[in-house]
Amino acid sequence: MNNWSVPPLIALFLFPGGLFLFLWGLFYEWVDRKLVARLQNRVGPRWYQPLADLVKLLAKEEIVPEGSDPTLFYLLPVLALACAMTSALYLPMAGFMPAYSFRGDLIVALYLLSMLTIGLGVAGANTPNRFSLIGATRTLTQLFSYEAPFLLALLGPAIVAGSWRISEINFYTQQQPLWIMVTQPIGFLVALVGLMGKLELPPFDAPEAETEIVAGALTEYSGRGYALFRLGKNVELVIALTLVATFYLGGLANPLQFLVKTLGLLVFLAVLQTLFARLRIDQTVGLWWRIGALLAIAQLLILFVINLV
Amino acid sequence: MTSERKFIVPIGPQHPALKEPGHFEFTVDGEIVTDASVRLGYVHRGIEKGAEERSYIQDLYLFERICGICSHVHATAFALGVERLAGVEAPLRAQAIRSLVAEMERIHSHMLWLGVAAHEGGFDTLFMYSWRDREIVMDLLEAFTGNRVNYSVNLLGGVKCDVNESLRDQILRGMDQLEKRIQHYLNVVTTDRTFLARTEGVGRMTREQADLFGAVGPTARASGVPRDVRVDAPYAYYSTVPVRLITDERGDLLARFVVRINELFEAIRVIREILDHLPEGELTARMPRRIPAGETISRVEAPRGELFYFVKSNGGEKPERVKVRTPSLCNWGSVMQVAVGHKLADMPMILAGIDPCFSCNDRMVQLKRKDSQQWMSWEDLRQYGIEYYKKVL
Amino acid sequence: MRKRLGTMVSDVLRSVFKKPATQLYPFERKPAPVAFRGKLIWEPEKCAGCMLCVKDCPANAIELIVLDKVNKRFVMRYHADRCIYCAQCVVSCRFKCLDLSDEEWELASTGKEPFTVYYGKEEDIAFLLEKMARDNAGENASCEE
Repeated sequence: MNNWSVPPLIALFLFPGGLFLFLWGLFYEWVDRKLVARLQNRVGPRWYQPLADLVKLLAKEEIVPEGSDPTLFYLLPVLALACAMTSALYLPMAGFMPAYSFRGDLIVALYLLSMLTIGLGVAGANTPNRFSLIGATRTLTQLFSYEAPFLLALLGPAIVAGSWRISEINFYTQQQPLWIMVTQPIGFLVALVGLMGKLELPPFDAPEAETEIVAGALTEYSGRGYALFRLGKNVELVIALTLVATFYLGGLANPLQFLVKTLGLLVFLAVLQTLFARLRIDQTVGLWWRIGALLAIAQLLILFVINLV
Repeated sequence: MTSERKFIVPIGPQHPALKEPGHFEFTVDGEIVTDASVRLGYVHRGIEKGAEERSYIQDLYLFERICGICSHVHATAFALGVERLAGVEAPLRAQAIRSLVAEMERIHSHMLWLGVAAHEGGFDTLFMYSWRDREIVMDLLEAFTGNRVNYSVNLLGGVKCDVNESLRDQILRGMDQLEKRIQHYLNVVTTDRTFLARTEGVGRMTREQADLFGAVGPTARASGVPRDVRVDAPYAYYSTVPVRLITDERGDLLARFVVRINELFEAIRVIREILDHLPEGELTARMPRRIPAGETISRVEAPRGELFYFVKSNGGEKPERVKVRTPSLCNWGSVMQVAVGHKLADMPMILAGIDPCFSCNDRMVQLKRKDSQQWMSWEDLRQYGIEYYKKVL
Repeated sequence: MRKRLGTMVSDVLRSVFKKPATQLYPFERKPAPVAFRGKLIWEPEKCAGCMLCVKDCPANAIELIVLDKVNKRFVMRYHADRCIYCAQCVVSCRFKCLDLSDEEWELASTGKEPFTVYYGKEEDIAFLLEKMARDNAGENASCEE
């Protein structure tokens, strides 16, 4: 068994909690942007572009819009980023043992991830800007539409593993001869599309559709707050990829597997991103509840039936 | 309980969806638009007034700058008007080249629109690829005329640029390449499920509405109105190489995509035909510097629809009055009506659907309100303007 | 009409193996086509001083300074920043002494000086510049007083 564990303080500040997530998140943002650019026959950014963006934003003045609550305005980005990073503690980041683990940590990790989106929504609703308000409404609407199917899709592997503890699911999936992606294809599909919804990637980018509502919920954010939200999203990208790779791609046993599996998933997501036009928010909701949720439930039912037999 | 306060979403004058300044206010109920209004005039440049201070030759280039996308047709319309006043007819070869450049410009304009409209719908891949392939025709125009925009091909009484054998082959090769790509885009636009979800049935304008609002160009043709100046009143070389009228009955955004893309095929066909039967001869006819007194109108089909010029001469070197009516202005009325009842998310696409050109728009319009009895003559208006600015300054 | 998903997948996947369409301009340049309209070039030998180019220029980019009409001593002051590269002057010129270059077209500059170009015989330009310097000096002196 090559699952190592890390001491708590390092877990919080360096790995998997702090610095590692930042850098890895920025790296994955670059990979994503570069890939999308290459798929669209463009050149794309250089490797340090996300970091340069971050530094630039941190150096910029932060303007609190009139009519919004300053405390909330400052607090929400920090809270969102903190929640996203906390959920990394329960995941087998880079193939190591999760830093913390308890029964049912799957649910906690998922909800910590959702806190980021909720933070985004509240941040949008906190400012009086009309684009922010619409963006916030859309963000939260989308959250309520993909959350249930995505959770149901992640429950599939949990049920076959017989545990709601992420580390145990990780062990279980590693020992399976077949990846769960093959045994539960419907669940994998829902999880993958749910991932895109969660990360607000095209075609599910209605909450931040620039041609309609400028930057959505974050329209009024500038400087530090915006930098933190962006960083939060990058961290979310890494965590969500890890989660799906752990559950559906045969688990993460070592750093190499982590790199290969999450990057592979990211490449696949990048291709998917380029292929679709943006869905309207009503179409997104319709898609999730009419198709996504039903598919996820169907997958679960099949599992139950097989388990009974 | 109904809320008294309206939630109005302002779009513009600065907004990512608009590449030019215009201001729109959409009253929304949730995501549904219940009212729409437009305010234009941010880029009023006083071109018509400026034209009165310059000679006819200089005006040619001034009018080319009304719009950067369809600059050639503006100059063509003005040149045709002035030539008619002077009783001069441009040589056949010059007319053929005018039509040739006009069709190449149409290709570049429609492909630009295709990209912009795709981007408004969040389909950035189509946007990037259509603009990449637009470079083909941009490069051809550059090789042909020497400029990528504002080609300045026209002269009063003829054209400046000529087509030689190698350029002809180059253009034909480019057209072959483009035809393949455009066929591909037609397939994408008419079959892609996510894109169809954004275009099919959205912003539908019936034929009656199109007639009522006076829509022109591809916007009107997509609603089944058979209106195309190239067909109705052929100018330049279009009487020799007739253009097939392309219409669609559906009237929605999808129909506008289909009509514009089919017009691209038609433009390619016309370009090939002109190049195959390019008449020999002179490029320019002699043109007097003083244009005989009189007034005339000229109409041409710009990529966005009918472009109308009125030119009045007093016998001197400078025009007495030039009036321009651009196609975008005719189409705004339809947008504001059609927008109501749609989702906010559809607004950018509906706005883009008429291929608006804001800098074309911004010239004076005479508004006749129901209760207003006031009429002003041109001289009165001029006087009013002078008085007004005296008061302000 | 059959509806499909991901109709652009072939383009997207093919792009992976293709060079990006973007041209990294200052590092790679495409030569301009022969017909390209760049900087205006004037040959003083042929000029008769008819001033048609000055009259027809829609952007007032050309000034023709007459030093000696009889001996055909002209200096052309060309304002590259005002020029709209329409080639009207080239067409208007009856002596074919004007042309737009297809080699010199990278005319951007950080200062204003390079935008004013003098054409003509060297001694004429020198004479003109000297005269201007003298006039300017006079003006400045009077201002200071």
